[in-house]
Amino acid sequence: MIAESQGFAGYLRRDLLLAYRRRGEVASPLIFFVLVSTLIPLGISPDSARLAELAPGIIWVMALLATLLSTETLFASDYQDGSLEQLLISPQLLALPVLGKILAHWLVTGLPLTLVSPLIGLMLSLPAAGLLPMMASLALGTACLSLIGAVGAALTVSLRKGGLLLSVLVIPLYMPVIIFGSAAVQSAIDGLNWLGPLAVLAAMLSAAVALCPLAIAGALRLVSNN
Amino acid sequence: MSPQFDSLKQLWDMAGHGPYVWTVVLVSLAVLGWLLIRPVQQHRDNLQSIARQSQRQQLQQAASTSSAEPSEEDK
Amino acid sequence: MAAGRNWNWFHRMGSPRWFYETTGRWLPWLWVLTLGLMLTGLIWGLAYAPQDAKQGNSFRIIYLHVPASFLALAGYYLMAIAGAIGLIWKMKLSYMVMKSAAPIGAALTFIALFTGAVWGKPTWGTYWVWDARITSMLILLFLYLGVLALQYAFHSQETGNKASAILALVGTVNIPIIYKSVDWWYTLHQPATIKFTSAPSMHMDMFQPLLVMIIAMYSFYGLALILYTRVEILRRERKSSWVRELALRTQPAQVDQ
Repeated sequence: MIAESQGFAGYLRRDLLLAYRRRGEVASPLIFFVLVSTLIPLGISPDSARLAELAPGIIWVMALLATLLSTETLFASDYQDGSLEQLLISPQLLALPVLGKILAHWLVTGLPLTLVSPLIGLMLSLPAAGLLPMMASLALGTACLSLIGAVGAALTVSLRKGGLLLSVLVIPLYMPVIIFGSAAVQSAIDGLNWLGPLAVLAAMLSAAVALCPLAIAGALRLVSNN
Repeated sequence: MSPQFDSLKQLWDMAGHGPYVWTVVLVSLAVLGWLLIRPVQQHRDNLQSIARQSQRQQLQQAASTSSAEPSEEDK
Repeated sequence: MAAGRNWNWFHRMGSPRWFYETTGRWLPWLWVLTLGLMLTGLIWGLAYAPQDAKQGNSFRIIYLHVPASFLALAGYYLMAIAGAIGLIWKMKLSYMVMKSAAPIGAALTFIALFTGAVWGKPTWGTYWVWDARITSMLILLFLYLGVLALQYAFHSQETGNKASAILALVGTVNIPIIYKSVDWWYTLHQPATIKFTSAPSMHMDMFQPLLVMIIAMYSFYGLALILYTRVEILRRERKSSWVRELALRTQPAQVDQ
């Protein structure tokens, strides 16, 4: 009944509603992001010059881990309650509802991370010139991470201990994103052109939007057949 | 083309670079050798276990066909 | 499900057995070729090639490092192509090749990294640098490990095959992007003190043994891939009559069991 006439928008609305009902669970990547970032000065030094130097990389690594943390649950509840089967049976193109789910995932993880990141930036004494590029690169980059992570989540959805495996599969694929993401912030701080790396991130995002749903659809078909 | 080293000792030393070069050679050859030995062993083990299994089945079949007739006559 | 299995059985009919029997005839030659080339190349490279003017004798590591790196990368593509063929044409044999390629590729990537690290010590004074090529190689190792881990994560062989084929394909799309981005990242951060771009000028006397070693490594790769695939064929076809007959014919000493 739920699965009827649900394309992109239907699944987007449905997943956002589900996320709203599980607010506490959905907020945990964000809390993780903030908490772990406060560990960094404690672990390194309170010296603002040193922190400023490390801030772009640290913020990006933390954002990546926080996204990874939430990726595991992307298809898990649908797999358990059987709605994934319904989605696969429906005759429509699988890529659109999958994209809807991923957009919902980004709206509840990547976007909040992006919005909170200036706060972390201030705590780690990131130079002011880096704040806007950081938000822009995080907005584009976390969307890439959600898409790539979804491939891993789809491949491991039927496994009981898929979480660790998921990180092994997905982290190597994340590397280009973190390179260009932190490079955008770093170039802005150094007074260089930061639109270049950002444009590369945008290009990666469009490639991922085009290609990842194909792999995800294949993986979901395969895993749920089993 | 002529040998670059006058003695085996010199070949082993390689003018101070011997430890690096020979570590690389030994470790690489060990890994490469392992890559070849492992499948050869597994191949043999598999063939043996398949042979054992099918022999056992043949024996069981032979036993059941030869014992089937008298046992039915007894009852 | 049942229909799918019937279909696969159809494909399986000819090929694995054909592969097993054909490669069985090649194997002795391939063994001789591999061992002969490897021995020739190693002795030539280690004892007869002239030493490098700048790096001295440590440059001889190149004779293992470069061939291993070549095959590590080529092996990933071979694995992904085999996986793609399996996904598209549902060919059992090509999944077996894919599964066999993963451990070989991972081991060769390890050799490439290890030899590179040991080479770095006498040449640049350090075992590990975050050089573009070294970093890409490390990521390649992670990609191989992911495929291997996924292969064994599923109970069903079939699912494991298809899942790792999809992952290998995703990785293939990513490899050029990873390489380019790591390259770009490295030029951004390149430390001024270490200069890698000055490749040792290759004298003909140095290059010839390298060529022999590269061919030897290709031959080795083919041999290892065939050996692993044959094991896989035996394992999966153990119920079929030709494998049983083969086992009984080649293992006659088991009668007392």
